[in-house]
Parts: sequence; C-alpha cells; structure tokens
Amino acid sequence: MPARMQISASLAALMSAAAALVPEAQAQTTESDARVSYRFNDYSEDALAPGPFFGDAERYRVLSQQFELSTPVAGDRALDVTATHEIMSGSSPWYVVRGAGNRPIQVMSGATIREHRNEVRAAFTQGAGTTSSTTWNASYSIERDYRALALGVERSMPLSEALTLGVGGSFSHDRITPVDAQLFDRIEHASKNTASLFGSLAFVLDRNSVLQTGLQLNAEHGYLSDPYKLVDVGDAIVDDTRPDRRGAAAWLVRYRRAFGADSAALHLDYRYAQDSWGVVSHTLEAAWYQALPRQWRIVPSLRYYSQQQARFYAPFFLDPGAHNTFSSDYRLGTFGALSATIDARKRLGRWEFSAGVERYHAATGYAIGGSDAPVPGVVSYTRAFIGLDYLLQ
Amino acid sequence: MRASLPCPRRRAAAALIAIALIALGGCAATPVQPWERGRLARWDMRWDPDPLRAAMAAHTHFSKEGSNGEIGAAGGGCGCN
Amino acid sequence: MTPARERLDLHLVRFNAMGCPCALQLEGEADAIARAAAAAQSEVARLDAKYSHYRDDSLVARIGAVADAGASIDVDDETADLLDFAATLHAQSDGRFDITAGALTKLWDLQSGRVPGGDAIDRARARVGWDRVGWRRPTLTPNVPGLRLDLGGVVKEYAADRAALACRKAGIAHGVVDLGGDLAAIGAHADGTPWRAGIRAPRAADGAIAQIELARGGLATSGDYERVMIVDGRRYSHIVDPRSGYPVESFASVSVAADSCLVAGAAATLGMLLGLDAGYEWLCALGLPFLCIDAQGGARGTLAR
Repeated sequence: MPARMQISASLAALMSAAAALVPEAQAQTTESDARVSYRFNDYSEDALAPGPFFGDAERYRVLSQQFELSTPVAGDRALDVTATHEIMSGSSPWYVVRGAGNRPIQVMSGATIREHRNEVRAAFTQGAGTTSSTTWNASYSIERDYRALALGVERSMPLSEALTLGVGGSFSHDRITPVDAQLFDRIEHASKNTASLFGSLAFVLDRNSVLQTGLQLNAEHGYLSDPYKLVDVGDAIVDDTRPDRRGAAAWLVRYRRAFGADSAALHLDYRYAQDSWGVVSHTLEAAWYQALPRQWRIVPSLRYYSQQQARFYAPFFLDPGAHNTFSSDYRLGTFGALSATIDARKRLGRWEFSAGVERYHAATGYAIGGSDAPVPGVVSYTRAFIGLDYLLQ
Repeated sequence: MRASLPCPRRRAAAALIAIALIALGGCAATPVQPWERGRLARWDMRWDPDPLRAAMAAHTHFSKEGSNGEIGAAGGGCGCN
Repeated sequence: MTPARERLDLHLVRFNAMGCPCALQLEGEADAIARAAAAAQSEVARLDAKYSHYRDDSLVARIGAVADAGASIDVDDETADLLDFAATLHAQSDGRFDITAGALTKLWDLQSGRVPGGDAIDRARARVGWDRVGWRRPTLTPNVPGLRLDLGGVVKEYAADRAALACRKAGIAHGVVDLGGDLAAIGAHADGTPWRAGIRAPRAADGAIAQIELARGGLATSGDYERVMIVDGRRYSHIVDPRSGYPVESFASVSVAADSCLVAGAAATLGMLLGLDAGYEWLCALGLPFLCIDAQGGARGTLAR
C-alpha cells in the first residue's frame, strides 16, 4: 500500500472541509523542548607520566559551566541561547628537547594564572520539531588572548517519508593576541578564517531504527600555529610553525536503534576525517541508553579515537632539511585514545538531575597503524559533570 | 606492457559504499507508516539526546585531539587547538 | 537536552455519552486530570445535547420543527462548519452520505427486528435529500416537511476531537479519548511512545484483528458489526443508502486512521457506504491507513497483518 507521500484529491477535500472544525489537527504535534538547563564540568588531566621532563608535572584543570535557555517563540519557531564560562589553570606542554640518545624530553610551561573564557551562542529555528526546519546560529567567544565570532545556518528538508536531507554552512573569524608576546618574542596578533559546509542524509530504516550519513568540508586560512609552543629543530628552539592553510574532509555514519517499547536504545557513531596536513583520524563511539525503574536512566558509552600524525610533526627535528613547517604539539602526532563514560539521570516532575564521569586515556600504542615512535605529552584525563534541567512546559 | 588499474582495492571500496548508499535510499521496502513513528520520536532515539553534554564532550575532545569532531561547527572558537 | 521522559501514572475515566460507553485515558498531574476529565465530559455532553436526533430539545429537533413549518433557521458557526463538512461528504460520495436521511435511519430501527415495508421506505425516502435543502451560510432552509437531520457518522467523531482539545487546554498532554470505539489522541505517552489500539475481530470475544499505534490524530470505526439485524438469513446493518432506502451490502466494519477523528470517521463511513468493492478501492486511493472487515471476518487494508 502506498505510504502517504501525496494526499489524494478526496483526502485533500475532506481535510480542508474539516479544517474549520478541527484546526489543531493540521499542526504537527511534537514534543516541545522548552527548558532551562545548567551543566557543570570538572576536567582534570593526569599528571605527566613518569619519564624525563622539565617543568611542572601538574597539568591542566578546567572548570566549566553552561547555562541554556530554550523556548518556543510564536508558533513553530524556537530560540535557544547558551552561555558558557570556563576557568582554566595549570601547565601545558611547551616544547620537546632532544635528550641523550635522541630521547625526547617534554618541557612544560609554568603553571598559568587562572584564565577565563566566556562564550555566548544563540540559535533561532523556524519549523522547530518538524523534519523541515531552518536554524540560524551565531556565537561569540572571548578570553584574554582569543576572540572568535561564528555564524552558521542549517536546513533540514524531507525528501520522502523515509529520507531527510540536511545541509548547512558556517563561517568563523578568530583573532589571537598572545599574552606576554614581547617577553617571549611571540607574534603580537594574528587571525584566521574558517569556512565549513556539510550535507547529510537521514534514513528511517524501520520502526525501530534510523541511520544518518554525512559529509563535512572545512577550510581554514590564516595563522594556524600555536603561539605558545616551540619546536626543537636541529637543537635550535624555534616557534611552532604550521602551514597557513588547512583543508579537511570528514565522513560520518550514525545509527540509532530502539529496543523494547520504552526501555533501551543503542547509539553507534563512526567518523573518518582526513586533512591536508596529513592528519587522518577514525572515531568510533557506542552508547547504550537504558531506562530503569522510578524514572532513572543510565547511559554507559565507549569511545575509541585513532589519529595519524601531520606531515610536519615530530617530537623534535634533527635538521630542518627541506621543511619550513614544524610542530611538536602532541595533538598532531600519531596516537590513539580510549574513553569510557557513564551518565546517570533521574527525572522528578519537571526537574531532571544528571551526573556522570568520563575517563580518557591516550597512548601512542592505541593508534591504528601506529608506530612505536613516542609522542610526548599525550594526555589522560578525568572529566566529571553534573546537570540540572527544568522543563518549562 | 599492460598498465594496471590505479588502486583497485580503493575503487572497489568506493563502489561498494556508493551501492550501499543507493540501496539504502531505496530501502523503504517496508515503509514506516506515520502512526508507527512513535518509537522514532523517543528522546533516546535522537541524534543528540543531550546536546549540551555532547557539545562539552566534543569541545573537550577537539581541544586534545587533531580533528574537528563536530559536524556543522566552523571553528573551535577557543584557541585550544 | 530533553529530560528523559518516563511514563506518568495513567488515569482511566469512564462515562456514558452519545449512547455508548466512553473512556478517557490520561497521564498527568492529578489536578490537571480532574480538570481535563470534567472539561472533556461536559464538551461531549454539550455536543450530545445539541445534535442528538433522539432528544426533543436538541438543535436537530428544532431544525425538524423548522422543516415541518417550511421555514428557515440561522445556525451558529459550529453547526455551519458541520453542515459544510457534510456537504463535502455528500459530494465525495455521490450522494450516499446524506445527513438529511434521519427519516430513513429512524425507520430502520434495528431493535425492532422487523424489515420495514416498501411503502414505509418510499415515504421515508421522500423526506430525504440534501440536494433539496437550501444551505447558504448561515441560513438553512430544509424545504421538505418531515425532513430530519441525522449527524451520526460526524458528530461522535467530532466530539472525540473536541474532547481531546479540551483535555489539552486543561493541561493534559498525554492521553487518548475513546467515545464508543472512536479514538482521538491527546498526545503520546509521556515518554514519547504511542498508544496501542486494537481493532477487534467480529464474532471474536477478544483478540485483535489488527493493532495500531496512535500518537496523534484519530482512529474511527464505522459499521459496528454488533448493530446488525438478521432477518430470514439476510443481514441488515444500520448504514442506510439514502438513494435506495435500504442498508448497504457492505463490510461488517471499516476502520480508518487520520489526522483527526472527524476525518477518520468520515472516511470510514464513506468506505462503508460505497460498498464492498468500490469502498475498498476508494479507501486504497484515499491514502489513509485503513482496515475493512467483511461479514465473514476477512480483513483487508493497510492495517491488516
């Protein structure tokens, strides 16, 4: 039997005649998400692993708070405003020197004073709650040495009963004015621009499962290096120097499957990304949403990440050779990471409480096709979070 | 001398993915009727049931890894990567 | 984040209205449930009182008096909308659906167990015919003495939608209204899952011939197969074709799901009126999910397993 893709003439006649009597039947009724939310995150990195290093072993700590207000506006429009505040402290990897026997020795920066970051994001949606919607968003982030403004738009359109197309684009302009620029002979200010496009298709596979696949393209241009990092090149310490352009493409697949009438769901996500610096990554995430009695819910999840290094990455460079780009930032190295998260929620009337913890561990040996070349500075951390939500309607 | 096809395995993989996507597109073999969509509208069946939490997790991963994990986001906005 | 939704406590409110057993299944806070139940029941009672063709004080009875007097009457917006809706149904069914067939439906009183004589049928048919009525909003001129309106097939389903709306206005977002088997969804369960309704097989005490999940809109069933009369081996339902004066040879029941119980009920009634083959074809072309059960218990349609 045909799925309801087009309304027959008879049905159209009936429905238009009924419109005056049951006007509410014409509107799409979907769950409204009007709410106020608060989240608190405590991110704390493990101290540097035993091994040769200089500087403070105490690594990074970030305390973040997020506030969100989400409310319908006149009909099927919705407005969502999020404010984030972060306090960052601790030391971070500065550079790597070549030690005896070409062993890399990590040098840490001194523990920084507390840094604050504030961000505001607003998103306005037309057609909220339907498969045909448009969202306009803008965000502004500011901290002592960094400002960024981003604008974006996303559109979702149903192609058929079972297929939805999503497209979107965004643009951001970032500006950095490193602290202690003159003291450490850093650049005084620089900026970069980023443009991004994505397209996705979502399929309804059956009454229990959905699948989404998407492609994202990114292009960055401007100052892309880290002004706080240095590199040992032929025993001379030089600035972290990366190309001034970076193009990236990513492909993702997401699968959601419901089990039981209301008890559980499985989430599987895979992402493949490749960029013009030579970084190739795979991300695989699995989560299980389990409903428990008395309006409790528990969500354990696992994440595996694997990355291949950028062409210009090395812990240190014996000699520059033909290169003019260098970085020893471990985040451009070859490594893998495993993380496990557990999240518990409890609903009480209009309130919902949630709390959880993520434990993340990165190591060179976890990478697919990884070498045993060391990547000094890879991080392990624990992130604990709590949340509070209040439903407005 | 016979020229060999460039990267035959990669081509085959690309062809397989293309076929899979096309097949999925026509995969409304058992169409889901409108009144059967209740389960798909459940909170735990969304792409992101908790967007705030997902955003914070993605931001954390993004600042400690080399790839941008969030689809649709342009920049880090934080200088942390 | 949308908080994890769990099922709230379910409250069942039973009552009688429009000559059939009714029920409200509601999930929500206790005070909202009490308000919603009161509002829904009073709305159904209001429509029953206004459009019942059994009561002497209903608007339908007044229209009958106006018909006998050869006069006109100005009707309110709600009645005008219903008459416009009925006019559409009349057109869609080539005259089979006719709200002026009150004289005929009263004649075929299935309780009596008697088949009316041909003369009685002809006399009743003479007092039937929407195309003879003058309808120009808001003025209704029946033109035919003895013409009686019968809004069965429209009012009960409309009342279900109105009761669901009343519940929503009272603050209930999850529930379903059931007026004698015609369902109107207020909203899915608190956790987003739909309501499950079963369509009973004829002559089977229990056991559903089909199950349907309802999260919004309505489900209506026409041709209650319990309300039939069997005389001399022939089966007479209570759905009368006004052109012939006799009950249609049709399905035992037709169930349709739509965005409102009103449209679902209209489609179900039209499917019944068109008869076994034409009705099935029409329902297929209509595009709504439906189920037809014939007198032998065979089921066809998109809802059939």
